[in-house]
Order: sequence, then structure tokens, then C-alpha cells
Amino acid sequence: MMPGPLESDEEVLLRIRSGDEAAFLGLYRRRQGAIYRFILHLSASASVAEDITQEVFLALLRKECGYDPDRGTLSGYLFGIARKLVLRHLERGRADVPLETDAEDAPLPELAVVQDPLGDLTYRESIEGLRRAVATLPRRYREVVVLCDLEEVDYADAAVALGCPIGTVRSRLHRARALLLEKLNRERTPQGVKELKPARVLI
Amino acid sequence: MNCQEFWKRLSKPPGTELDLGGEHRAHLAECVACSAHLARQQELAHGLRHLAESTRGLRAPGRVEGRLLRAFRAQNGATAGMQRNRWLVPLCWATAAVLLLATGLLLTGTRQPATPHSLPAVAEMASADPDGTTADAEGFIPLPDAERIAPNEDVNLVRMEVPRATMMALGFSVSDDRVAEPVEADVLLGSDGLARAVRFLD
Repeated sequence: MMPGPLESDEEVLLRIRSGDEAAFLGLYRRRQGAIYRFILHLSASASVAEDITQEVFLALLRKECGYDPDRGTLSGYLFGIARKLVLRHLERGRADVPLETDAEDAPLPELAVVQDPLGDLTYRESIEGLRRAVATLPRRYREVVVLCDLEEVDYADAAVALGCPIGTVRSRLHRARALLLEKLNRERTPQGVKELKPARVLI
Repeated sequence: MNCQEFWKRLSKPPGTELDLGGEHRAHLAECVACSAHLARQQELAHGLRHLAESTRGLRAPGRVEGRLLRAFRAQNGATAGMQRNRWLVPLCWATAAVLLLATGLLLTGTRQPATPHSLPAVAEMASADPDGTTADAEGFIPLPDAERIAPNEDVNLVRMEVPRATMMALGFSVSDDRVAEPVEADVLLGSDGLARAVRFLD
């Protein structure tokens, strides 16, 4: 039986623990997309995102998985596990792309197709510029933007996932948006323009 | 309203659809900096929404689901198997304990019957001669130093294999070349679980 819409995370987890395969499958299908994209944004690697998504749900199967409903929702818990696994992976130095530099080689997400070719190009360029800006944010800002702005996770769940107070989530998000604006402004301003100096008046 | 108040009083984050009140609109009309900053913030929020939509279709490959399902089934199969076999562990221990006890009693017996046995009935064995070395009609031989079975005592019968040397301890003659062979025997246990008598089946 698939998890019902009104079923709490705790109830779903109990059914999974009792061997209910449909409950596990339902939970996986409902949550895996967001978890996969979160990992993809943090690691910039599709293979890492695939492996870690699998590890996140395997962790859920373990009896000592450590999920405590009193501390937050299952969604926040899953994002938290994913984040820890990504950090562990990055600490081991197996990252495919350095995080604090331009992720030019990172796999590009599938962009939506627009009918108007010129508009499509502009749209793609602007979205691609924004994607690059997000990818080059320092990790603590990138993860909060991905969680709250891209995956629309609420602040409480984001706080559980990031292991920090809600106030910290808010302040990081504020700072992250400011950094994104700075990056986008820099990208829009051609570098040559900055280097131009006023011509000397000879006459 | 000054710039600080403008940003402080914004009820929603700048990225969302703002329902600006008259004071806010008035401030925006006269403050180019706030107007431009708000526009940039709204543009960023708009772009982030588009970026989110453009990646919304990204999901883990189907093979991940397959691998997880296999892991789930393996785990639950193993757990179910463990639950099914849980009763086997105490049973094995109990059997081993009975075997050890019976064998120990048989091997440590000090009395050696002088002659081959006649076989009185088990019921009679309860009141058998004090030496207790004669077998009853069903072939049960009282173990040396074991208590007699009381007339109304509940007894249990356990069939097991014991070393043929055990027979020698009870006065049977066994050829040297067969000493190591096991022999099937019925062991009679008293209500206290201790072996009282044995009957060799070979």
C-alpha cells in the first residue's frame, strides 16, 4: 500500500520498518527528486548525486538511522543525511569539480524548451548565468539557496537539514541572495568597460 | 517612510509577489535606490524560480530504485528468516545440554555390573534393588548413582546417539574395534530433567 497523503512521516517509517515495500517505494518516489537535485547542486556531479541518493535511502532502512520525529520532519532529516554524505565525500577529496570555482564542466541541467528561439537563447543564457552564480557560491550559502529557493523547503526543515537555528537559515539566505546579485551584476558588466580610462584631453 | 523602514516593513521576502501599501509605493516613487534594489531582488527571485523549474525534471536514474528495492527485499527477507529460525537456537542449546548431561552421567558411572542384564519393567525399576544395576523389561538400565523414579513421577524419553564406550561403563562387553562407534540409545529423564536410565537400541 502506498503512503496516504495524510499519513505522517513517522507512520510511513513504521510501515517501512515492518517490511512494507510499497511504503518504502512511495516514500522514495516522493522524495528522491529533491534529494537528488540537492546533491547534484552541492557536488556538481551526476554520478555522486546518484550514489549519495542511494545511500540516503539505504540509511533510512537501518534500524539505527537516528531519525527523531520530535526534531523535525523526515524531509529535513533526509536532506540532512544527504548533506552530511556530500560533505564527507568532498572532504575525502573525491569531488569531480572544485566547489569554489566556476563549475564550467559540471553537467548542465535539462533546461525547459521555449518556442521563441531568440527568447529561448536569452532565457537559457540568463538561467545558465544564474546556475553558474549559484554553483560558485560558498557552500554554506549555496546549500541554503538550493534548499529554500530551488527546492522550496521551508525554513524549519532547512534548519534541521543544515543543523542550525532558523535565524541562521534566514541570515544565510539573505547574504546568499546579496552575493548572487553581486555575481550577476559582475557578469552583466563587461570586464573591458571597467578597464577603460578617460581619454586625456590634449587640446 | 525612510529606506530602513521600507525594507523592515516589507511583509514578504522581495522575491514573492508583493502587495505594497501606499506608504511603500510612495517611498519607491521617490527613492531610486530602493526602487532599483527591489527590482533586482524581484528579478533574482524570478530567475531562481525559473532555474528551479528548469531542473525540476531531474531525478535519480531508475537503476537506483532497482538497487534500493533489492536491498530492501534482502534486508526484510533476512529479518524474516531470522525471526523464523529464532526458536532453533534455544532448542539446539537444550538438546546439547541434555546430551552433555546424559553422556557425562553415563561416562562417570562408577558401578560396573558384573553380568549381562535381565530386563525388568520400567515401573518396577522405581522400586528396584538398591544397587539399581538391572535392566527392566523394556531394556532400561538404571544409571549408577541416579535417583530411582518415583511411582507417579513424570518422565521424559530422549533418543540420542552416545559413544559405544558408554555401554562398557554399564557393564556391556564391546569389542575394541567398535569402541569409537556411536550407538543409539533412549535416555529416561526424571521430572527434574536428570537422566535416570538408559536403553541401548542396537
